[in-house]
Amino acid sequence: MAGEAVGKVRPWEENLQEESEEGSEGLTLGPLTSPVMSPSCRVSHGIAGTLLGEMALCAKKRPPEEERRARANDREYNEKFQYALIPQVSSLSWFTTIVPLVLVLAITAVKDATDDYFRHKSDNQVNNRQSQVLINGSLQQEPWMNVCVGDIIKLENNQFVAADLLLLSSSEPHGLCYIETAELDGETNMKVRQAIPVTSELGDISRLAKFDGEVVCEPPNNKLDRFSGTLYWKESKFPLSNQNMLLRGCVLRNTEWCFGLVVFAGPDTKLMQNSGRTKFKRTSIDRLMNTLVLWIFGFLVCMGVILAIGNAIWEHEVGTRFQAYLPWDEAVDSAFFSGFLSFWSYIIILNTVVPISLYVSVEVIRLGHSYFINWDKKMFCVKKRTPAEARTTTLNEELGQVEYVFSDKTGTLTQNIMVFSKCSISGRSYGDVFDVLGHKAELGERPEPVDFSFNPLADKKFLFWDPTLLEAVKMGDPHTHEFFRLLSLCHTVMSEEKNEGELYYKAQSPDEGALVTAARNFGFVFRSRTPKTITVHEMGIAVTYQLLAILDFNNIRKRMSVIVRNPEGRIRLYCKGADTILLDRLHPSTQELLSTTTDHLNEYAGEGLRTLVLAYKDLDEEYYGEWAQRRLQASLAQDSREDRLASVYEEVENDMVLLGATAIEDKLQQGVPETIALLTLANIKIWVLTGDKQETAVNIGYSCKMLTDDMTEVFVVTGHTVLEVREELRKAREKMMDSPHAVGNGLPCPEKCSSAKLTSVLEAVAGEYALVINGHSLAHALEADMELEFLETACACKAVICCRVTPLQKAQVVELVKKHKKAVTLAIGDGANDVSMIKTAHIGVGISGQEGIQAVLASDYSFSQFKFLQRLLLVHGRWSYLRMCKFLCYFFYKNFAFTMVHFWFGFFCGFSAQTVYDQYFITLYNIVYTSLPVLAMGVFDQDVPEQRSMEYPKLYEPGQLNLLFNKREFFICIAQGIYTSVLMFFIPYGVFAEATRDDGTQLADYQSFAVTVATSLVIVVSVQIGLDTGYWTAINHFFIWGSLAVYFAILFAMHSNGLFDMFPNQFRFVGNAQNTLAQPTVWLTITLTTVVCIMPVVAFRFLKLSLKPDLSDTVSGPLSAGGAGGRLSEPHGAAGHAGGGHPLSLGQTPVQPGAAVPRPRRYRCGPFPTLPGQVRYSQLVRKKQKAQHRCLRRVGRTGSRRSGYAFSHQEGFGELIMSGKNMRLSSLALAGFATRSSSSWIESLRRKKSDSASSPGGGAEKPLRG
Amino acid sequence: MLLMPQKYISVTCRTKMKRTSKDGQSKLPDNTALKQQQLPASRLQLSATGVLSCFFATGVFCLGMGIILILSAKSIKEIEIKYTKICGNCAKLREDATNFDKVCTCSIPFYLPETMQGNVYMYYKLYGFYQNLYRYILSRSNSQLVGTDLKDVGNCAPFSKSHDGTPIAPCGAIANSIFNDTIILSYKLNSSIPIKVPMLRSGITWWTDKYVKFQNPSSINLSSAFAGTTKPPSWAKPVYELDEEDPGNNGFLNDDFIVWMRTAAFPTFKKLYRRLNRIQYFIEGLPAGNYSFNITYNFPVTRFKGEKSVVLSTLTWSGGSNLFLGLAYTVTGAVTWLASFSMMAIHLMLKDRKVLFIQQ
Repeated sequence: MAGEAVGKVRPWEENLQEESEEGSEGLTLGPLTSPVMSPSCRVSHGIAGTLLGEMALCAKKRPPEEERRARANDREYNEKFQYALIPQVSSLSWFTTIVPLVLVLAITAVKDATDDYFRHKSDNQVNNRQSQVLINGSLQQEPWMNVCVGDIIKLENNQFVAADLLLLSSSEPHGLCYIETAELDGETNMKVRQAIPVTSELGDISRLAKFDGEVVCEPPNNKLDRFSGTLYWKESKFPLSNQNMLLRGCVLRNTEWCFGLVVFAGPDTKLMQNSGRTKFKRTSIDRLMNTLVLWIFGFLVCMGVILAIGNAIWEHEVGTRFQAYLPWDEAVDSAFFSGFLSFWSYIIILNTVVPISLYVSVEVIRLGHSYFINWDKKMFCVKKRTPAEARTTTLNEELGQVEYVFSDKTGTLTQNIMVFSKCSISGRSYGDVFDVLGHKAELGERPEPVDFSFNPLADKKFLFWDPTLLEAVKMGDPHTHEFFRLLSLCHTVMSEEKNEGELYYKAQSPDEGALVTAARNFGFVFRSRTPKTITVHEMGIAVTYQLLAILDFNNIRKRMSVIVRNPEGRIRLYCKGADTILLDRLHPSTQELLSTTTDHLNEYAGEGLRTLVLAYKDLDEEYYGEWAQRRLQASLAQDSREDRLASVYEEVENDMVLLGATAIEDKLQQGVPETIALLTLANIKIWVLTGDKQETAVNIGYSCKMLTDDMTEVFVVTGHTVLEVREELRKAREKMMDSPHAVGNGLPCPEKCSSAKLTSVLEAVAGEYALVINGHSLAHALEADMELEFLETACACKAVICCRVTPLQKAQVVELVKKHKKAVTLAIGDGANDVSMIKTAHIGVGISGQEGIQAVLASDYSFSQFKFLQRLLLVHGRWSYLRMCKFLCYFFYKNFAFTMVHFWFGFFCGFSAQTVYDQYFITLYNIVYTSLPVLAMGVFDQDVPEQRSMEYPKLYEPGQLNLLFNKREFFICIAQGIYTSVLMFFIPYGVFAEATRDDGTQLADYQSFAVTVATSLVIVVSVQIGLDTGYWTAINHFFIWGSLAVYFAILFAMHSNGLFDMFPNQFRFVGNAQNTLAQPTVWLTITLTTVVCIMPVVAFRFLKLSLKPDLSDTVSGPLSAGGAGGRLSEPHGAAGHAGGGHPLSLGQTPVQPGAAVPRPRRYRCGPFPTLPGQVRYSQLVRKKQKAQHRCLRRVGRTGSRRSGYAFSHQEGFGELIMSGKNMRLSSLALAGFATRSSSSWIESLRRKKSDSASSPGGGAEKPLRG
Repeated sequence: MLLMPQKYISVTCRTKMKRTSKDGQSKLPDNTALKQQQLPASRLQLSATGVLSCFFATGVFCLGMGIILILSAKSIKEIEIKYTKICGNCAKLREDATNFDKVCTCSIPFYLPETMQGNVYMYYKLYGFYQNLYRYILSRSNSQLVGTDLKDVGNCAPFSKSHDGTPIAPCGAIANSIFNDTIILSYKLNSSIPIKVPMLRSGITWWTDKYVKFQNPSSINLSSAFAGTTKPPSWAKPVYELDEEDPGNNGFLNDDFIVWMRTAAFPTFKKLYRRLNRIQYFIEGLPAGNYSFNITYNFPVTRFKGEKSVVLSTLTWSGGSNLFLGLAYTVTGAVTWLASFSMMAIHLMLKDRKVLFIQQ
């Protein structure tokens, strides 16, 4: 039974890290059917006997992971190596090729082994997390990886669910349990799950151990919101739904413990099924490099062919006649065959143009950059004590090329903490902090928070900075009292008091929790509730209100009310809700108050706060009685019960008296708006992809300044059908093109318009637009025939927000941009729902330091704060890209300069594959003489100080446009290398042809020539690296001078008598160094070669600097920003800091009215030599700043008012509370409600949900809902 | 081009905070200059003054050096006589390898219009002889030539062993193809009796070659030392009888042999043959007058369309005639100066515009 049911259980995290082969299929988007599983997966749980069998299966060792080894271009070298053993072909000793090859392979192997080791370590960390498994009737600690299907495990409060579980029982009544699914879908509200009644009684271990039910359910799939199965137990069947399931990735909240039966484990869990496949990521430079290596290889073959033909001709014309002095080899019978052999010989000699050490050097440089990321103190989060971590060491330079950032919202942009920040009570606004920047100020900069010590029940963690509000409460201001009374009564929060005075609130949404906690601290403590009463401590006096009705929230009503009877017997309705709805339902007498409150609301909204309006209304007994009657009827109605209830509710929620408004801050992570502003300035487009609701997402969009009131328009696409979505997208495009600024002719593009045309039209769009698209619309927009339209529209917008998207949709969006935009994408997220997107994007970033580490495990980089992204990209990424490009340019240059000399020499040595240099020089050139200086440059180089790259985000653009290393740059390097090689050969040739030594003997012997050319080559490439190195640290000095010193040391050692005496046949150059290098002519030749090779480079760079300076040239030196005097205060988040004195408001920069508006997507900075980049740049920044400034200050545009009743609130708890089901009451008390409570409240809850979610793309819309 | 020191202060003070939590603090990256990428460094700045002065200086240096080199090259007296065609019948004779034992001599009279002052060196020069072919260069055995292992002929193909299997000494293609013409320079003092110009055959090799790289095998006498080996196929005499006049100049230590064994880098090369022994009439050098080269023509070059010549030359401080280097330096210097002037012009022009730009 067990064998059939379980299949193989693999370690959990292994799947995440599995390295699939290159070129494996991409993201599997459809539902997956595991081939191992039978269509219907039987899960059973037996008693001890079967358990043992299962454990044996569990203990099965995972297959040993194989090490990645083969490198892209090794095969060529292997082949060459074999050729080198054929005597007729060899022209080099075996070691000239083998030594570098072995070295390269060894270093690569060591590096990969270390990588794997660390990956295993982090896997083990997860795999060894402990969970309590019920084995043989007792709970035992078992590591996660040993948990397998059919186990019963116990979860405790705030624990992560380790597998997909069937909830059996919990500490709460009726087998209820609360979970938070932020990891899974990004929704922040709490959700409730319930065990099926028969199992909910299995509370103690002994009974659970005897449980032998069998679950038959669907095969593993990726649908987070659906589950269907049946439990067979005690000869009866029980249907199972998603409502009974705890999915992996959820966190148990407000529930002391619960027991669950593992249904899916490891890779079969819905979470893992959603996480997409791991792909082997490579950078674009990598791909380019491979292409170039192939080209070089082609070039090599060409040269080989040319020289082989030369050889054949030479042998035919001269060689045949020269046979008296040098007969042909026995094997060679014709000039043609000789040419053929010489082809292979030349391939071996010239193979150094395809540098073996390139790959390993690139790896070493990336490793160095990764360590810099790990070591960066400025990316260390003190609070969470987590440093940034580069989890892969192969993607660093791509960080400097990112064009699109896809960000998760919850946990990434926001902290998922709601804070009661401001309120307006009867026309007076409280909560303003003296700091001008308000909520932007760091906590430390604020004055002392308000002291709530008068209130023993206050929550210590609650902080409020405006003492006047507390004064008003203490003064006994009736409005203020009523305000907080409302907050303490009108909600669906449950309270728990473990010890006297220790209150815990179980809030369905964090917004509500924040409001009730605020009321609690201001002296209106919600203490406890029963289905019929609410007890509140009002300024220390316990008052019990009779709860008459809860008029629950839903998406249409956007408000909730309670009707309570106070101890005096007055009936009052308290209502809180969205301003747009509530302000229309107020009593006309409050007009004046209304306008002040509206002003306050606008102000709050402008600051990105979530607002709620509070109102109350007195009801008289008669009216209430009559209304209650109507409500009862409506609730009993069979058809259109919802509508009827809604109209009954609407009737009573009228003519209310305005109390005030609250403003809740959805706490952003530190520095988010600044980071987004800075990244936007760096031409990086940021898309937010969230599973959360549209309102929440839009609100966050505003508060982190992605959306601003200055935007021309924000398009919202919410269509449910293909046609609607298409129409909405089309309208959006038309509007963009019709706008008065548009350059185009304004004609709407026909639908079958080619994407190229679309781009050209839409790139001319003026004005700022934003796009908000819903998950179900996105499902249509991502279909093959519409995806291009969607993409073009979205890319023309400054900001894009996708809400209600499933994890797989996130990946699809990323994939779409990746595929069609040819741009580098970066995905950042914290939760398990971001894993697929993190894996799909070119670069995945995980937010670490959170409880879940799914995202981190799948990511390439991890750190704990969104704001570190700016440093990762603008500093580390930029430098990495710059260094890598400089490195590659130089590397190709030096190898061409080195190798091409052989080509020229071929024309003078009968194409006989004679090398110019000593074989040891060839062996050591790449690995000793020239490797370290360029490595040092690749690791340490900096063109501008790091502060500058934050101040001038435009410096990031060359990476995006791929300007520093592309095919053109490559050809320039190659040309320079060939130029150098020509001079390197022909100048010594010209000198040596005639000259003699100063003692009259011959100068032009082969060995002297070899030494002269080699020496001048080493000197020239050293000088060149000196020129390329922009940032000379002690290490650079050491390596460059050291390399030269080592060259001469080895040269003299190799040419020494001692070595010759030992191996006369190996060290044939004896005495050469001292004899050759003692000649003035030789040194004059070397000097001349160096001058001629280097001077043009210097001249060219100088002219480029004067005529067409790059931005980095103008800002790198001490000349920019007034040098030390104008030092900038704060590099972090300086740019785009609204209101703050921006460092770029440089007094000394002349503002040039004539200077044109900076053209987008141009890196060169125009013709003016005087810091032109700076002038234009500062204008640009100022413009942006002004915009932001305006956006901050200018409030009062009604269109921008974003309020919503407790955004992450969901309907349903009202009924739950009134039913009393979730309350721990004495059975006596409960009996009183038993008759009244509908036994199937959860069913009605589900019905409501399915009604509201009855869209075609239902799955897409509600990611995790039953 | 200046290395501008920048005000980077390496943060050395490591303020160890109170260790609140061992684990947490240990994760805090070290605040060292290296790890924070704040190493003190100087930035390479291509400043206008730096670059321009560097260019001017280089230009001055190159021009000066070029002129010095040209002048010294001009002071060299050199005379070259190609004798392949002059000794045409000898050349013809040598084309047939079977005539190897026939002696062919050839006399080439010439007139030296000016005295060749100082040390005079005599070279033979070969045109189109490829001493730099890959297989040619390899075809030698250093362990044999250094006298340690006469039988080691491993690398010497195709001239490693004679037909009967005796190892050849010296083996290999290089040794086999040694230049074996004899050139004697005679001076007609009074247009009557020619005087043989005294020539030194020592001091024409590198010290390291003569004393390190080439050694005779140790034995009582040379002929016994080379017992068990045979002479190269093209040679007329065994290696220990190369110089009949000077017994110390035999075997592998023969100067002409050593010179030949240092292979040339290019197919056209000249090798030092003799140097003037400055005695008697020749204390000052070679006086002007009538001379003649008496050449024993042995080395065939017409087979591969090569040519031979004999060269007489004096030297300067930098060695022999080196016009190319002087010219190259002069041209480089001139171009550098031109470049620096035009760069300065561009720079000044832009500077003017900059001033204008600010004034506007």
